[in-house]
Amino acid sequence: MNRIFVEKKAGFNAEARHLLHDLHESLGLPQLERLRILQRYDVGGLSDKEFAEASRLILSEPQVDTVSQTLELASNESAFAVEYLPGQFDQRADSAAQCMQILTGMDRPEVYSARVIVLEGELSAEQLQSIKNYVINAVDSHEVAVEEMSQRAAAKPPDDVPTLEGFNSKSPAEIRKELGLAMSAQDVAFCQDYFGKKEGREPTLTEIKVLDTYWSDHCRHTTFLTKIDEVEFEDPDGPVAKAWKSYLETKRQLGRDDKPVTLMDIALIGMRELLASGELDNLEVSEEVNAASIVVPVSIDDGPEQEWLVMFKNETHNHPTEIEPFGGAATCLGGCIRDPLSGRSYVYQAMRVTGAADPLTPFADTLPGKLPQKKICQIAAHGYSSYGNQIGLATGQVAEVYHPGYVAKRLEIGAVVAAAPRSQVYRASPSPGDVILLIGGHRS
Amino acid sequence: MGGTGRDGVGGATGSSKEHDDTALENSAEVQKGDAPTERKIQRLFRNSELTKKIKICNDFGAGGVSVAIGEIAPSLVINLDAVPKKYDGLDGTELAISESQERMAVCVERNEIDYFIAEADKENLECVHVADVTDSGRLIMNWRGMTIVDLSREFLDTNGVQLSATIKVAKADASDPALDKVSLSEHLASLNVASEKGLGERFDGSVGAGTVLWPFGGSQQITPPDAMVAKMPLLEGQTNSCTYMSWGFDPYLSSRSPFHGAVDAITESVCKIVAAGGRLRDIRLTLQEYFPKLGQDPSRWGLPLASLLGAWHAQHSLRLAAIGGKDSMSGSFNELDVPPTLVSFALAPGFASHARSPEFKLAGSTISLVKIERDRDLLPDFEALKTIAEAIHQANAQGDIVSMHHAGSPGIGAGLAKMCFGNLIGADIRTDEDITASATLCFIIEHSDALPPELKALKIGTTVSEPKLTINGESHTLCELQAAWQGTLEPIYPTLPGIPETRMIEVPLFTTCMRDHSSSAITPPRVIIPAFPGTNSEYDSAKAFREAGAQAEILVFRNLTTQHIEESVKQLAEAISQSQILMLPGGFSAGDEPDGSAKFIATVIRNPRVADAVMDLIKNRDGLILGICNGFQALIKTGLVPYGEIRDPDADSPTLVHNDINRHISCYATTRVVSTQSPWMALGQVGDLHAVPLSHGEGKFMASEAMVKQLAVKGQIATQYCDAAGKPSMDPRFNPNGSVAAIEGITSPCGRVLGKMGHSERAGKQVAKNIHGDKLQPVFKAGVGYFS
Repeated sequence: MNRIFVEKKAGFNAEARHLLHDLHESLGLPQLERLRILQRYDVGGLSDKEFAEASRLILSEPQVDTVSQTLELASNESAFAVEYLPGQFDQRADSAAQCMQILTGMDRPEVYSARVIVLEGELSAEQLQSIKNYVINAVDSHEVAVEEMSQRAAAKPPDDVPTLEGFNSKSPAEIRKELGLAMSAQDVAFCQDYFGKKEGREPTLTEIKVLDTYWSDHCRHTTFLTKIDEVEFEDPDGPVAKAWKSYLETKRQLGRDDKPVTLMDIALIGMRELLASGELDNLEVSEEVNAASIVVPVSIDDGPEQEWLVMFKNETHNHPTEIEPFGGAATCLGGCIRDPLSGRSYVYQAMRVTGAADPLTPFADTLPGKLPQKKICQIAAHGYSSYGNQIGLATGQVAEVYHPGYVAKRLEIGAVVAAAPRSQVYRASPSPGDVILLIGGHRS
Repeated sequence: MGGTGRDGVGGATGSSKEHDDTALENSAEVQKGDAPTERKIQRLFRNSELTKKIKICNDFGAGGVSVAIGEIAPSLVINLDAVPKKYDGLDGTELAISESQERMAVCVERNEIDYFIAEADKENLECVHVADVTDSGRLIMNWRGMTIVDLSREFLDTNGVQLSATIKVAKADASDPALDKVSLSEHLASLNVASEKGLGERFDGSVGAGTVLWPFGGSQQITPPDAMVAKMPLLEGQTNSCTYMSWGFDPYLSSRSPFHGAVDAITESVCKIVAAGGRLRDIRLTLQEYFPKLGQDPSRWGLPLASLLGAWHAQHSLRLAAIGGKDSMSGSFNELDVPPTLVSFALAPGFASHARSPEFKLAGSTISLVKIERDRDLLPDFEALKTIAEAIHQANAQGDIVSMHHAGSPGIGAGLAKMCFGNLIGADIRTDEDITASATLCFIIEHSDALPPELKALKIGTTVSEPKLTINGESHTLCELQAAWQGTLEPIYPTLPGIPETRMIEVPLFTTCMRDHSSSAITPPRVIIPAFPGTNSEYDSAKAFREAGAQAEILVFRNLTTQHIEESVKQLAEAISQSQILMLPGGFSAGDEPDGSAKFIATVIRNPRVADAVMDLIKNRDGLILGICNGFQALIKTGLVPYGEIRDPDADSPTLVHNDINRHISCYATTRVVSTQSPWMALGQVGDLHAVPLSHGEGKFMASEAMVKQLAVKGQIATQYCDAAGKPSMDPRFNPNGSVAAIEGITSPCGRVLGKMGHSERAGKQVAKNIHGDKLQPVFKAGVGYFS
């Protein structure tokens, strides 16, 4: 393993300046006089000569960086190092490894990156801890020793998947708690019934986790599919009750009397009405559900009109963005793009609408267990934009609405528009003998 | 890199559980995105021969393998051992349910497996056979020789026990609360009215060369359009076909009455499309719901019910359907709840030539209001809205409307102010309306001739050349109003750098041009455009070169394995030796990592084989090299500009560093031509001005004063950032990254290598209509013309 520390020269160390400013503003701490940020790389699999070349041409730039093999601290300086948790995708380390592989033409080396924060000033242990708490988001990162080399222990072969002995006979509430399931106790009982009566065996852990994922509100809209038994209106003659009556009337007219009333049914009745009347005449109807899709005539170079499909989609990543704003917001857009992309259309326009509490709220007023609104807003904007900017997607409109209620949880919506010639999109039902291929990044 | 890993375990169930203040410590972890990999999938799916073989495709997301593959067919056998993973040690359960990003599952006929693997490989992607479709009616997963999942589809598809609910709906009260009277300045400074330019400029708005309305319009690049409008993405050819998209939502109204909130969200999104030039009857909607955890509380269930009934009422009345939507029911933390949220997104296909931006364009125009009334229940008169929207569309299509804006909840005063800011055109207004009150269903229109009578337009004033907004005799300078509007969010989303570079180094125009011309005519010249992992401007660049008459080819640089790299290096070197032009396009090669841009491309260029081909091209073969944005970064980091040769950098070499504002910038800049010495600048005159889009994080040109002077003397400074009058500037409004000597582009001593930050390729008919200036910089034509 080889190690190098890279530090931006004065004038180029904006990140360190911003962090110092941020810590002064958010935590007070007049004792904190100076702050340095060093990038630490630990690299395995390169010769000393190769490593020296990589350090000079890839890991640093002489115009803006200074490099050193060791970290020297003055008596009034203290330092801590922050690294992504094992398994988190670290684009910095990954890109460094890709560049080094091109440089050497050999196998991709092992690269670990960490940020070392050096603090100057007489800080108490509590103050140092408060800085660490501020800088390290435990959701994706952890503190590592400044001196020790980063190295991942070789993974142990995993154990076999256990069969859940006694599952079918335990109390559903207990099972739910024990396995940390999102599904309800009724669902657990339903599973017990299925495995006991239909399968005549106990389930495996994987089966229960798969069912829990499948039936989650996230994947299956459990709330929206709940049957609505009874509705009582405080104002029976008001506009809401009138709309309820018109919904029920339309449901009847559409011959859907036998279908349960659910939030989903109300959400879809507008579309069903206009499909039945013929007013919604350009919907692309298919078994596949990728994104909303309409047929649009497009004329190119004043030639004859071609049929195109325009697909659009909105998606939220509220919970992930609340706890890890960068990754949460980035994957909000990434996931949103993949929906129309899976429909074989090219995404060319994005919008971002978010909701936050007042980002000007002082840091001291941050609720326990929460990140400050300012930090969430800024980091989420960075995450979403960095994904869109990298993938090359024009973001035409960005808006943030502010309401105190979003302190409970941020609203992070991505919306995208995509298009493709209709002739490019073939859709068919799978037949026995067909295969499923997985396309994506490589094994690393 | 898109593999399955433990960082995504519980992605779906975690976001569906209730949260309390331990959320930061023990919740499901969040994945990081890997945009360069998703970009590769986008490229792969632009191959129409391939897409025509896909029967069904499903993307990976929170549900991981179990859902992404499990949803494709009723009967499946999945081989979990075949699923690529990020690291060893994952067990079967983790492989089955881990969230994974940047992955697609496709269902194809068995005999297409090899074809798909080969095509994916060409795009630097891995493709593996992971499952088989059967007819057993069961979802089976095998791992390490054991069947670990064997479930009947029938059971899986029950979606669990159907729950039932009893609901109580509270009385709706949508009336506006009494608010303290505020001045127009105070109103503009309020959190939900304040300018969000510093936020918006972080996002690339120009890639794709299809953005019709720039996010911040007018000579001041400040007035936000009502909708986003972009042309259809074509690989070749021109079109006037485009899509309009807008959103609508007011959390305050939604908190008072979720029903009215939903009605108005839809109506507002529709009005914005109309104000931008789209047609009401072509609109389709998609809705986003976000509500607190409902539990068993009937009155909490009343929130989404009322909201969806509002959405139904608006769809039914407007005869417009929501054909998509997403719901999230997790908006609670301890005792805190998010406001009942229903955001409406409206989308309409239309024509780019119809798109209108809101900023006032002429002094002396008439300003009118067009309003739609509400009934006793405070619901819009939908019949009037439909009639008026169609009349507005017709009037606009005939060219009767100069500018237009839907005032919305910020109100008429804020709307007028924003319309004034764009081109610093003032307005003199007389009105009885409360100018700081919400004005949904109210259009402000600038026009010269009378509007059609169906609009029932009410004249409220005229535009004036003096930069002042006068309302009922009370005058405000635009400067004062704009300062209030922009000041509020400046600490969160700055528009200006904290410490801007201010010292100007004068660069004289270079008028002694001694440009050469290619010694042999080659028509059409061949252009090779490598696409590296993270490159995103190869399509736009190839299109620009083709339209200029070149034969342009994109070469994907593959690096999954050592063998790929070897092949790619060889292919690239060969392609360069067979081409007249090497173009390094924009993007974020390797995500601008490790900690600095273009290191990936620079490393490729330094490869001896590629380096030889590059030097042979410019030294011996009379060839040209162009690098834009990320390409410029690669050229400067290898020394090709300004030295004209590949060399190791030293501490004094010119380079490109982080913008002064320390974030990504996306804006238009005016540049002036300083030297036409380079063949790339041959079709212009010294002093020509162009408006070019910038989109980068590291675009600040750095060089010593001595170096700048030396470059100036040799005519190597091609272009500089300048103000509208053509004067080079260190003002961050005109030199947005803080470049030394305001330098935007430089060349090699011979002029055959040009590197520039501005995206000259992102231009075209109807692109950025609300931005002034000449947007067609003839760089590509000049490069092609060199070989004529």
